[in-house]
Amino acid sequence: MSDDRILFENVSKFYGEVLGVNKISLTIPPGITTLVGPNGSGKTTLMNLMTGLVQPSSGQISVMGLSPSEDATEFFRNLGYCTQFDFFPRGLTGWQFLLDSLLLHGMSRNDAFRLSMEAIERVQLGDAAGRKIAGYSKGMRQKIRLAQAIAHHPRVLVLDEPLNGLDPMARAESIALFEELGRQGLHLLISSHILDEVDRISDRVVLITGGYLIAQGNIHQVRQEVRDKPMQVLIRCDHPELLASRMFAVNHCVEARVHSDGKGVFLRTGDVDQFYTMLNGIAAEGLVKIEAVAPADDDANAIYQYLIGSDGSAS
Amino acid sequence: MSIYKQNYRAYTGKVTPIWTRVLVLARYGYAEAWSSKITVGIFVFSLLPCILSLFGIYLANNPLARALIGGQGPRGLAIDARFFLNILQIQSWLALVLASWIAPRLITYDLADNAMPILLSHPISRFGYVLGKFIALFTALSLVTWIPTLLLFFYEGYASPQPWASVNLSIAGGLLAGSLIWIAFLSILGLALSSWVKWRIVATGIIFGAVFVPAGVGGIVSAVLRTKWGFLLNIPFMMSTLWERLLGVPGLVHPNRDLPTVAIAAMLLLACIICLAMLNARIRAREVVRG
Repeated sequence: MSDDRILFENVSKFYGEVLGVNKISLTIPPGITTLVGPNGSGKTTLMNLMTGLVQPSSGQISVMGLSPSEDATEFFRNLGYCTQFDFFPRGLTGWQFLLDSLLLHGMSRNDAFRLSMEAIERVQLGDAAGRKIAGYSKGMRQKIRLAQAIAHHPRVLVLDEPLNGLDPMARAESIALFEELGRQGLHLLISSHILDEVDRISDRVVLITGGYLIAQGNIHQVRQEVRDKPMQVLIRCDHPELLASRMFAVNHCVEARVHSDGKGVFLRTGDVDQFYTMLNGIAAEGLVKIEAVAPADDDANAIYQYLIGSDGSAS
Repeated sequence: MSIYKQNYRAYTGKVTPIWTRVLVLARYGYAEAWSSKITVGIFVFSLLPCILSLFGIYLANNPLARALIGGQGPRGLAIDARFFLNILQIQSWLALVLASWIAPRLITYDLADNAMPILLSHPISRFGYVLGKFIALFTALSLVTWIPTLLLFFYEGYASPQPWASVNLSIAGGLLAGSLIWIAFLSILGLALSSWVKWRIVATGIIFGAVFVPAGVGGIVSAVLRTKWGFLLNIPFMMSTLWERLLGVPGLVHPNRDLPTVAIAAMLLLACIICLAMLNARIRAREVVRG
């Protein structure tokens, strides 16, 4: 089972006396996993550890049963890394950059040619691949970096801030590509500050701050685990004030706020199970016609706020 | 529940040997080095002494030309070990100029652009990266040292009416060994110093400084302590001594300055080890230091 997973076992990394990450234990199955945390939280260190670019001070890392120290060629054949840095060898076209990257991966010239074509098509770079990278827009640079990371058909794709600097169109195209790769069974590990998009694309989130792992798992599961923060639910109904007064009468309901359009109410509850039982009762009584019920803080942004806080320190 | 087609296939083809991957980096380095017009200018200037020497060899072996320049005979333009020693020394110091210009272009750009994470996330080790850059620099320096000097040697062998080349084969060996030692040392020194300096022009100055400043310190040490061992810090002196011995030219140095060849070799080796340690410390994928 461990051969299709990325495993971190009690991994710590110190840069001299400075903590990179501390005692991280993670199991990442295939799919899209997003690393979320404030600047300097250790996200890039975690990615560098996974890609073998830095060695852990202690602990073990296994990427689909492979380790860079044991068989670097096989390890890097299975891994694609798109860094957040804008480096390209000077004077190259996008096409040459891809071709050279594949030659560095050890592909034959014929395979490199074929895979370059495929990657360019996949990121929809088109004719721009024949132009010098120095003349590319930021979005095109992101695309060619992404093409470089996926061109050699890795099984694990590590993407450091891949959506930064992209316009909405390019961002949507990139997200569609990530989703497609994730569906095909690829490991995608993405770091991102754009929490709305984390919600859209992630199968799992890993929250990290100050080098410590705060939470990991499916966003909804993580939210449910945060029991000390009452959950907010939006209920769309015809008599929000009446519903609010009924719900507010019980102890576990700690806040009620009518929606700005007057056609719903935000309720905050400390006991979700009891809350839904009571809501069912009210609906059965027929006093309030309930149209929709949806968690209002069951997303990456809320989890980030609850677990890490706006100042970046874990609460 | 969605049903997904797990149709993604990892690449399973053959991979090329590691040395072919190193050559990609060497090609990058070579292209970077020669993309500068100043590099081309220094290279052309570095070939001028060889062209003059070629002309000299022609004159020395042409009876008509010898007669025209006053019949000084072979002694006026003796093509011997000292002649080639002079060429080797000139070319070697021009190689220093070329190395100090090229070496920073090979490494400082990569470090400044954060290239390491991308390059080293390929199956290329840090050693492979440095080797690729070393090959690029070494090849460039070869173009102004052992290649032209050996071509001059072979031209003299061709132009000389006597069987000159076979008799003086040790000169060719000396030219080759002397050049290779010097450009290998220069390449390692240039790369190591460039890896520690962010600004390319400063790195160029520091490479010059690393060759000549210790020479001054060594001179002071020798004068104050009345010892010859201070000259082990004097790279120009050590190399001149080594070249003289490799080409079999009698030394003109004072007996008190006569350094053993083993000591010179050990000193150069020590300098290379220090340079490799510097490269090892600096050429890394990334060192993130959080405040």
